[in-house]
Amino acid sequence: MVHPSMSNPFREDLVSRSRPEACTVVIFGATGDLTHRKLIPALYNLAVDGELPPGVKIIGFARRDKSNEVFREGLKELNQEVSRNGHDEEIWQDFENTVEYHQSEFQDADGYKRLADRLDAIDVERGGKGNRLFYIASAPEYFDDILEHLKGAGLNESSEGCWSRVIVEKPFGTDLPSAQHLNKVVNQTFEEKDTYRIDHYLGKETAQNIMVLRFANAIFEPLWNSRYIKQVQITCAEHLGMEGGRGGYYDKAGALRDMVQNHLLQLLSLVAMEPPTDLSADGVRDEKVKVIRSLRQWDTPELVAENVVRAQYTAGHVHGKSVVGYREEDRVDPESMTESYVALRCMVDTWRWSGVPFYIRMGKRLPKKATEISVHFRSAPNVLFNATPGDTDEGNVLVIRIQPDEGISLRMVSKLPGTTLRLEPVKMDFHYSTSFGKGSPEAYERLLLDAMAGDATLFARRDEVEEAWKFIDHIHRGWHESDKGKEPEMADFVAGSWGPEAADDLLEKDGNTWRRL
Amino acid sequence: MTVPDNAAMLGKEVPVEKIERELRILWEADEARTNASLMNLAVYSEASGALHVNSDIIREITREHACRALLIGLDKSIEEISVRAWITAHCHLAHGRKSVCCEQIAFHLTGHSRGRFRNTIFAHLQSDLPLIFWWQGNLSSMFSESLYRRIDRLVIDSSAWIDTAKQFEKITEAIRQVNLTVQDLAWTRTYHFRLAIASLYDDPTASKSLKNVSKVKIVVNPEHKVSGIQLLAWFTEMAGWERTQDLISDKEDSGSYRFLTDKGSIVDVELSEDVNSAAIGKIEVISDGVTVCVSREKGSKHLRHQLQCGGHELDLHGPADSDSSAELVTDQLSRGGKNSLYKKILPFFLELLGK
Repeated sequence: MVHPSMSNPFREDLVSRSRPEACTVVIFGATGDLTHRKLIPALYNLAVDGELPPGVKIIGFARRDKSNEVFREGLKELNQEVSRNGHDEEIWQDFENTVEYHQSEFQDADGYKRLADRLDAIDVERGGKGNRLFYIASAPEYFDDILEHLKGAGLNESSEGCWSRVIVEKPFGTDLPSAQHLNKVVNQTFEEKDTYRIDHYLGKETAQNIMVLRFANAIFEPLWNSRYIKQVQITCAEHLGMEGGRGGYYDKAGALRDMVQNHLLQLLSLVAMEPPTDLSADGVRDEKVKVIRSLRQWDTPELVAENVVRAQYTAGHVHGKSVVGYREEDRVDPESMTESYVALRCMVDTWRWSGVPFYIRMGKRLPKKATEISVHFRSAPNVLFNATPGDTDEGNVLVIRIQPDEGISLRMVSKLPGTTLRLEPVKMDFHYSTSFGKGSPEAYERLLLDAMAGDATLFARRDEVEEAWKFIDHIHRGWHESDKGKEPEMADFVAGSWGPEAADDLLEKDGNTWRRL
Repeated sequence: MTVPDNAAMLGKEVPVEKIERELRILWEADEARTNASLMNLAVYSEASGALHVNSDIIREITREHACRALLIGLDKSIEEISVRAWITAHCHLAHGRKSVCCEQIAFHLTGHSRGRFRNTIFAHLQSDLPLIFWWQGNLSSMFSESLYRRIDRLVIDSSAWIDTAKQFEKITEAIRQVNLTVQDLAWTRTYHFRLAIASLYDDPTASKSLKNVSKVKIVVNPEHKVSGIQLLAWFTEMAGWERTQDLISDKEDSGSYRFLTDKGSIVDVELSEDVNSAAIGKIEVISDGVTVCVSREKGSKHLRHQLQCGGHELDLHGPADSDSSAELVTDQLSRGGKNSLYKKILPFFLELLGK
């Protein structure tokens, strides 16, 4: 297939990214929150910025009976509320005309045949270009049905010179066997190169900046190893609990499977990966998967107990408001053994990271919302300034703030002004919002464009997903399949605090402490 | 010594040798504010009253681009050599939270002295940050190699020039000598037109029709003819067409051009001026059965993208480039880059300009 940028001379030098191609985007689960709050506003904002290729059509596929007009009205209502670029009626009118609704049950083969006819008609209208992007944003239990019916209707196949791709939303399974099953079903329908497993954390500006920070700045990479780095911490704190009926889903998933398996292990792999040979999708993902594969497996209950802490919050106060404990939350089992908090000590068994612990913690009902990575460098030798009694021996800390207040800071030691020699830590701080007034595009905007352009760099590959599940499953088994009385403890902590004491102990064993956020 | 009108609006007047000290005092007085800077942005003008206008422009630009701004106003009509300076800060709420401020130093110079002009600028740059130099109006004798050698990016607006060809000689010389990165606002005004044309030619039918183009029509506002010629130079350069003089001798002084495609067919181009047009009003490319048209109504914030092929049609709206110089500079700073495409089309543009 000839890439349009090759056949279109006007593309030369115009933009430094793969060019997204005109296509029809079919969203399964079109009446859901994700479509209304994220996907449609993302596509609309691309249109506002002139990034959406002309000729893109959007079809919302869902079960409820709706007309195009009612569907569009609902989308417009929410777009006015959440759109990053505001709502421009003139652009919306054009955009809205590209959106249609397709009513069908997910299990109804006839609905997919009608969809195929509809897509063919759109292709003719568009001049014969039959690119299709299927976005599966439905509840996970429908993934199999949708994929199988897409295949049944021949929609997984593309005509010559065109493509047919699928974007799959998380969760990619609930454990290794289910992920393998899902991957099998996906790959029976679409080739791996046409499969885009979305992890919106990878679309965030600061996550993309990790590689730039590491590999475009000569000062960091020579220090980026066990010789100079003592520990790495990845924290994802949320102040919210189980609002909006989220308890039903969360109590089945838990912090480990909901956040660590995907988002936080992805961040870890970006921090720990070797420099890729090039910036191609597989060049980057080859290096990322090596990191996940190198994680030391906590595959006995004893190792799990030693290296992983799970906990639930009890009633407390967050942002000045009283909140109930996890087991009292709406739609949560009062005897639930699902963790709302998890802290892990991970070891990446590679030459570069030998002996360096990577700590990950994720929790609900912590004091504030913050996701960040902190890289803690070893202290300078205990001579000269560090030998002075009472002075700090804290090493340098490089912090990459993923959200909110995206930015990077570097802590270093400085002399306090005065006639005596006293040292204190100071911070050099870079805030995206301060330096770049223009807001970054939403993660979904970047990821949707990448999928239209055939660039899978920021999407998870099959082996990444499965290796991550392998690591997570060992821990899960340690928690839930150990002999009675031998299972690792479920700790608790007061909502609004920074987690259980056991999590502090986890670091203390290595002589470390959690960074105060 | 002359005083610019409303000098108080430029901030606090300070002795030139104490600028840095006074800036420090300014920041120490208010700890609640964050001083941010990613670049040195110098704005130079020889027009009277430009300092105030440019101070307002800097207020707009600093909403998105934190910088140290240096405004330089030169009054060459006065022989007496003098320099006065004012400092102030432009503060904005970043995402409704933190007050982010950028400092501004305004200089008013009189008399003619290249060395003093350069030294005044270079003595007040923030170290390690790039120098973006926005030169407003014609490039005077102050535009010298020892100045542009130290500029990271030069912003000009060739639409505002008198004797455009002569001015471009200075630019091409600067590019030849130091490979200067040039951001021409006349070129920036064509950005969304170029994007729109490129995206319409992603269509396979339109793409195929490129080899059968018979006519191209471009409509510009007379004040922006340079942008129209740059757009034409880009289009023809990218399409791989060559200019030919055949059979158009009777139209030499008009906006008519004739090109040969790589297949040897002839394309006539008509560049017309209309006072009621937007800066660039339209580019329409006509080939056998396919018409690609991007147009803009005067005052509209949107471009209209139209494609008419035998079997299908497209009619959409997309973003347009701003009419405000401040916003064009803001957009240009966001895009960054070395502007290699501009350098690529420059020789061909100059050939068309000198027709």
